[in-house]
Amino acid sequence: MSKSIDLTLKVWRQAGPKDKGHFETLRAQNISTEMSFLEMLDVVNDQLTLDGKEPIAFDSDCREGICGMCGAVINGRPHGPLKATTLCQLHMRHFNSGDVIAIEPFRAMAFKVIKDLVIDRSAFDQIIQAGGFVSVNTGGAPDANAVPIAQDQVESAMDAAQCISCGACVAACPNASAMLFVSANVSHLALLPQGQPEAARRAIAMVREMDRQGFGNCSNETECEAECPKSISISNIARLNRQFYRASLASSVK
Amino acid sequence: MIHQFDAIIVGSGGAGLYAALEASQRCRTAVLSKLYPIRSHTGAAQGGIGAALGNVEEDKPDWHAFDTVKGGDYLVDQQAARIMAEEAIQAVYDLENRGLPFNRTPEGRIDQRRFGGHTRNFGEAPVKRACYAADRTGHMILQTLYQQCIKNEVAFFDEFQVVDLVMDNGTCKGVVAVELSTGALHILAAKAVLFATGGFGRMYKITSNAFANTGDGPAVCARRGIPLQDMEFYQFHPTGIMGLGILISEAVRGEGGILRNRAGERFMERYSPTLLDLAPRDIVARSILTEVRAGQGIRGDRRIDDYIHLDATHLGRDTLMRKLPDITSFCKTYLGIDPADAPIPVLPTAHYAMGGIPTDIHGCVVRDGAGTVVQGLYAAGECACVSVHGANRLGTNSLLDLVVFGRRAGRHIGDYVQQAAAPSVSEADAEPARSWIARLTDGRPGPHGGHILEDMKLVMMEKVGIYRNAADMQNAIDTIQALRERYRTVRVQDRSKTFNTDLLEVIELGNLLDLSLVTAVSALNRQESRGAHSREDFPERNDTQWLKHTLAHLEGDAVRLDYKTVDTSIWEPKPRTY
Ligand SMILES: Cc1cc2nc3c(=O)[nH]c(=O)nc-3n(C[C@H](O)[C@H](O)[C@H](O)COP(=O)(O)OP(=O)(O)OC[C@H]3O[C@@H](n4cnc5c(N)ncnc54)[C@H](O)[C@@H]3O)c2cc1C
Ligand code: FES
Repeated sequence: MSKSIDLTLKVWRQAGPKDKGHFETLRAQNISTEMSFLEMLDVVNDQLTLDGKEPIAFDSDCREGICGMCGAVINGRPHGPLKATTLCQLHMRHFNSGDVIAIEPFRAMAFKVIKDLVIDRSAFDQIIQAGGFVSVNTGGAPDANAVPIAQDQVESAMDAAQCISCGACVAACPNASAMLFVSANVSHLALLPQGQPEAARRAIAMVREMDRQGFGNCSNETECEAECPKSISISNIARLNRQFYRASLASSVK
Repeated sequence: MIHQFDAIIVGSGGAGLYAALEASQRCRTAVLSKLYPIRSHTGAAQGGIGAALGNVEEDKPDWHAFDTVKGGDYLVDQQAARIMAEEAIQAVYDLENRGLPFNRTPEGRIDQRRFGGHTRNFGEAPVKRACYAADRTGHMILQTLYQQCIKNEVAFFDEFQVVDLVMDNGTCKGVVAVELSTGALHILAAKAVLFATGGFGRMYKITSNAFANTGDGPAVCARRGIPLQDMEFYQFHPTGIMGLGILISEAVRGEGGILRNRAGERFMERYSPTLLDLAPRDIVARSILTEVRAGQGIRGDRRIDDYIHLDATHLGRDTLMRKLPDITSFCKTYLGIDPADAPIPVLPTAHYAMGGIPTDIHGCVVRDGAGTVVQGLYAAGECACVSVHGANRLGTNSLLDLVVFGRRAGRHIGDYVQQAAAPSVSEADAEPARSWIARLTDGRPGPHGGHILEDMKLVMMEKVGIYRNAADMQNAIDTIQALRERYRTVRVQDRSKTFNTDLLEVIELGNLLDLSLVTAVSALNRQESRGAHSREDFPERNDTQWLKHTLAHLEGDAVRLDYKTVDTSIWEPKPRTY
C-alpha cells in the first residue's frame, strides 16, 4: 500500500550547452510511493520554485511510455532500474526511504545537453534523413493488398518499428553507438516488400550518417537491448550488419 | 527574428505532417512544433484507422459514411463524411506503400477489426473496418509520415511554441512563436498558415490526453477573431484506467472485452441490445456513469470516481499478447495486474474534441455561417471542425480525418501559394506577444498558475462533463470567469530565458481558460441532448431548433454565439438507436 518516503537526489544541473555542469544535492521529502518518478520531480520542482530557485529542466509529454520525450540516467541506468519501461513509467514504489538517487541526462557526444536533463536528439533526425524512408512514388502505386505480406513478417517489422527514438540505447552503450536505433529503423523497412528495393542503399546511408553525427561504433556490448524501453532486439543489429556488408561489397564503395 | 516561407504548418502530429508532406512537394514549407515531431500525440493512438477495404467481410464506403453521420447524431456535414469514407481506402494504401506495417490476414491482406459504431448495411451488425498495426497504429503513422517529410526537406522548427497569429485585413500573414531553448520571439511569415495543434483534453481533470494538448491553435485563432465551432461537443472515452485517465483502447472491446458492473452483469445489454459493448462512445460512457450513480459501480458508493470492470480475461493470454501488447503492459505497469487474469478497473476519461476551428472540405478556415473563407488560414486534425464528427466521433475516424483532411489541406495550400502574394511583416507584428510575455515575467508578485489550472480542470470535469444541466453550467461559467480574473495577475516564477517551461505553461493555461469559457457558454446555450452533449434538463434531441452548428466568437470576456446550417443532403435525420 501507499506510504511516504524521503530521498536524497543528486541531480545534474547545467545552465546551458556551454556550461560545465555539476551535481546538486536536493531532498525529496514525503514522497508517496504511488507517484511516478516524474511526479516526484514535479514535487521537487514546485518546492524549488517556491524557494525562488530554478526548477530542474526535464522533458516529458505523454507520461505513458509512448512519446519518447522523457529519459534520464538513474543510478547509472537509462530510464532507471526496471526493464522495458520508460522513465515516466517508473514508480516510486521501487525505492526505499533513505535512498540516494543520482539523476543525469543521457550522455553522448552526439546528444548536446540543452539544460539540466534536457538533451538535443536531433542527430537522430539527421540519420533518418539520410535514408530512413520509402521513396516509391505512391501516385500510381498498386493496391496494398496486391502484394500479400505474411503476418509473421509484419510482426518482425512491427517489433523493429516500435522504437520511440528516446536515445536510451545510446546512453547505455559504452561507445555511445546508435546502432540499435539505426538497425531498428533499417529492419522495419527492410522486412517489408515496399522497403526492400532500397534496403542496401538505406543501410549504408544511415550507418554513414550515424558516424558523421559522432555516435560511436558497435562492439557488441548488448547493453542497449537490456535498457531499451521497448525491448528491441539486437538481432536487428545483426540484420543491419548483414545488409551493410552485402551492400558495401556490391557497390564497392567504402 | 523574421523568417519567410510559402507555407507554415503549426503542429507535427498526423494532420500537420500529412499537410506538410503534400505542401512541400509544391512550395517552401516549414513545420513548427512545440514538441519534437515524432513525440506528437498522434503517437498515442492505439486502435486503428477506419477504411471500408472489405478485406475481412463485405464493406462499403457508403456504410462507413452513414455510420459516421449517425454516430455524430446527425450534426455531421454529410458530403464531408462521404468524402472522408471514400478517400479512406486510398489513404490506407498510401500509408502502406510508404512503409506502414499493418497487421495481416492469413492470406496476407491488410487485417481489419471491429470498432464501436461501425456497422454493415446501415446499422445491421458490427463490421470489421479498422486497419491497425497492433495497438501502435498512431506511432506507426507518425513515424511513416515523418520519414517522408524529412525526405522532402521540410524545414522543422522543433520546440517552437506559437503564441499569436498575424492577421492583416482579414488575411493571414504568419505566426509569432517562442523558441523554447532561448526564449527568443520569432515571426514566421507565410502565404499560408495551417493549424494542426491537436486536442485540448487538459481542460478536464481526468483525461487521456498528454500535457501538450492545450488547444493552442483554437485559442490563438479565437483571440484573433476566428469563431470556434461546436465546442460543446467533447467526447469522454468510456474506458480510462481508474484514477489516471490513461486510455484502454476500444480495441479491447473490439477483440471481445466486456464491461461488467459490481454484480458481474454485462450491463450494456440493457442500454444497447444490438451493439452491446461496442455502442458509440457517448452511449457507453453515459451507461457507465448511470451504473455508477445507481450504486452499481465496483465500490458501489455512487461517487463520480467510482468505476466498473472491463473484462478481457476470457480472450486468453495469447490473443492479448499478439493483438494488444501495449495495453497488456500498461495494465502491468500502472495497475500491477495482468488483464489475462483480472478485469481492468476503468472509468470515462476526457478524450477528444469534436469542435474546433471551422473549415471547409479543403481545410480552409471559414469565419461565418455563410462559409466565408479566411484567406491564407487553414486548419486540420483534431483542432479543426470540418465537421465529420458532429456531436460524437466514432473510433478510428480521427486518424482517418488527419490523413484525409491533412492531405486535402496540404494540396490546397500547394495551389493557393502559387497565386498568393508574399506577405510583408515587421517586428511590430510581434509586439502584442512581446509585451504580454514581458508582463508575465516582470518579477512582480502574483499568483502561481498551478492552482488556477487545478480549479479549472475540476469545475470542467464536474459541471461541463458527461451529464450537464443549466445550474451547474452557469456555476462553471462564473467560476471560470473568476479564474480568468485571477489569471490576469499571474506571474511566472521562473524568469530565465532558456528553456522556461514555466512561462510556456502559463501561456497554455491562458489558452485553456479561453477554451473552457467558450465550451461552457456554448454548452449552456444548447438546450437539447445530442451526441456527447447530454443535458439532464433537456434529455431529448431537438432537430427543429438545434439541428445547427454553433459558432462561438470570443470577444474579450464575452462569448457571442452564431450558427451555421448542417449539411443533411444525403440522409434524413432519424432517432439514433443501436
Ligand atoms: C490515448 C489515445 C488513443 C487514441 N486512439 C485513436 C485511435 O485508435 N484511432 C483514432 O482514429 N484516433 C485515436 N485517438 C485520437 C487521435 O489520436 C487524435 O485525435 C489525433 O492523433 C490528433 O492528431 P493531430 O495531428 O490533430 O494532433 P497531435 O498529434 O496532437 O499533434 C499536435 C501537434 O501540434 C503541436 N502544437 C500544439 N500546440 C502548439 C503550439 N502552440 N505551437 C507549436 N506547435 C504546437 C504539437 O507539438 C504537436 O506536434 C486517440 C487519442 C488518444 C489520446
Ligand atoms: S513522457 Fe512520453 S515516453 Fe515518457
